[in-house]
Amino acid sequence: MKRFMHSLLAKYMLIIIIAIIVIQLAYLLVGSVAIFGFNMHEDEDIDASKVENKWHEDANNIDQVNEVNINNLFKKWKEKYPEAGMFWIDGEGKLVVEIDATIELPNKWTSVYTASFIKERYDGDPFTVIAFLENSESDGFIVLEISRTTFDPPILQASERFGSLILVGVFVFVLLFIVVSFLFFRSIQKRLLKFQDTMGIRDVDGLPIKLEIKKEDEIGELEKSYNQMVDELRDSRIREQKEEQLRRELIANLSHDLRTPLTKIRAQSYTITQEKLTEEGRKAVRAIEISIANIDRLIENLMSYTLLMASKYKYEPSEIDITRFIRESAATWYPAFEKEAFDINVSLESLGRWKIDPIWMGRILDNIFQNVLRHAKSGKYIGIKTESYEQYDAIIITDHGPGLTRESHEKGAEIGLTIVDMMVKGMELDWEAESSIEGTLIRIIRYR
Amino acid sequence: MARVLYIEDERDIGQWVLKDLTGRGHQVHWLTSGEGIDEHISTADVVILDVMLPGLDGFSIGRRIKKDQYDLPILMLSARTSVEDKIEGLDFADDYLTKPFHPDELAARVDVLLRRYQKQDEEMELQHLLVHTRDGRIVHKDTQEEIQLTGKQYHLFQFFLKHLNQILTKEQLYEGVWGEQYMEGDKTLMVHIRYLREKIELNPANPTIIETIRGIGYRVKL
Repeated sequence: MKRFMHSLLAKYMLIIIIAIIVIQLAYLLVGSVAIFGFNMHEDEDIDASKVENKWHEDANNIDQVNEVNINNLFKKWKEKYPEAGMFWIDGEGKLVVEIDATIELPNKWTSVYTASFIKERYDGDPFTVIAFLENSESDGFIVLEISRTTFDPPILQASERFGSLILVGVFVFVLLFIVVSFLFFRSIQKRLLKFQDTMGIRDVDGLPIKLEIKKEDEIGELEKSYNQMVDELRDSRIREQKEEQLRRELIANLSHDLRTPLTKIRAQSYTITQEKLTEEGRKAVRAIEISIANIDRLIENLMSYTLLMASKYKYEPSEIDITRFIRESAATWYPAFEKEAFDINVSLESLGRWKIDPIWMGRILDNIFQNVLRHAKSGKYIGIKTESYEQYDAIIITDHGPGLTRESHEKGAEIGLTIVDMMVKGMELDWEAESSIEGTLIRIIRYR
Repeated sequence: MARVLYIEDERDIGQWVLKDLTGRGHQVHWLTSGEGIDEHISTADVVILDVMLPGLDGFSIGRRIKKDQYDLPILMLSARTSVEDKIEGLDFADDYLTKPFHPDELAARVDVLLRRYQKQDEEMELQHLLVHTRDGRIVHKDTQEEIQLTGKQYHLFQFFLKHLNQILTKEQLYEGVWGEQYMEGDKTLMVHIRYLREKIELNPANPTIIETIRGIGYRVKL
């Protein structure tokens, strides 16, 4: 129940109920004013025939016909019917007393005018009563004019008198209801927009931030659920990181355990080279050295491949000057190519900044250079160039080796290139290799 | 001759390295764990450290050494080859060499560290030049005349000496010597290299000490 009372539904229902109650109260008030207010104002029900009879009675019962008495009579009626008009035409047709007549009256009444007056007022508006004083025609007659609306039912009168006021009241009330509803929904809208904005904000770990819960209504409940979801997401991220850490640790240990005996083999083979050896012996040691290097490279590639396949190879892109990066990578490989008497052709133009992971890019270049050194040694040539066109920028590495042959695949070039492929695509770049007996060309492409 | 402190738990590898480095004229003290390391640190010129060790691992030992003796160069020698391990190692160590390694490479890297930290009063012969690495004096061997370099030329030459045999790009040289970011097209470096060559090369038109590596940078090779 407490929860319901805090809900937005309950709040809006309260607004509706208050509105309905106010409408009902207003009707009740208007009704009461109409019924009791007018009845209290009047001593009795206003009835045209009663008024007519009373006027005749008063005219008949006047003590003495003179101006003072007539005036007194009129004043008495005026008190009762403030909106009424009255006048006295004496026996000679002269207008003697007049109070609030509805029309301009002539001072002298001719028989024709009197007849036309009576004709005009018969059954007309205002309601008109003509009565001879003391039932004698010699003293003339007194006339009472009352608007016919005076005899309307009280509710009709109230509507006529307060009609515009009620209309304004209704209008104000509807306006008030709209304003309250608007404010209510605007506050909901504002909170939802703030909710949406906060959902877009990311914490340092890349996860959404939690919301501050201020109210315990439906939106508050939604915020609570959202926070719970963020917590679950964070827990799952931590779990994932732990798993990732375990996997890395496993691979690192495996790599260590494989390399340690390999180092021992190298130690032994190196010790053998210090001895006096026959040509056959030297050949055998050289073969062991080459095998050690091959296994070392295979272990490295296999570990990277396993991590890449499981999407666990850390990817941290940043904006780097790619030309500078290639130049520095070429600088580290230069002595190795120089030692093998390669013709080294480096021609690099600025390609601007690329958003890539430098470790990944370093690995790609290392694998390609290593392949050139191992499988294209016979060509004695490496070209490292850049290309820049409207549609794309590219890094081009060429050699004059025998091309990518089956033999080179067997010697482990394929896993190296598979890693190149996965890493290039992982950084949203592209690559292509053209291979013939004349050599191989590898192009790493970044489309604009 | 340098005093090398070597920590390695694998006996075969340890013995091999001990024998090799001793054969190259170094005085090697080999330990199989981090225990007792404190006794030898103060007398060592360079430390070679394995990562996977019984007790404290190589990273923890290395950090402790660097904390106490900042100017003692450390070379990590490990079969752990992942990028994360290398990054963690290079956080404090000066070099990281992975197993299996060639003893020539290990010896060369040790020499580089010793030169960088100027642990040896080395007289280095660089073609017709005799370079005293500790005080930076350069003497023409034939004439016995000392070659005087200006401030920037000296720094530039020292930078080359610290990175002997390495090819240095224009950016690396400029940022290493001037300490500012290199702007593409800036001729300052080229001008200084030209002046430096005029002073140290026998024939500045055909330089042999500061080599130009086309498309990449420059190199001073021993």
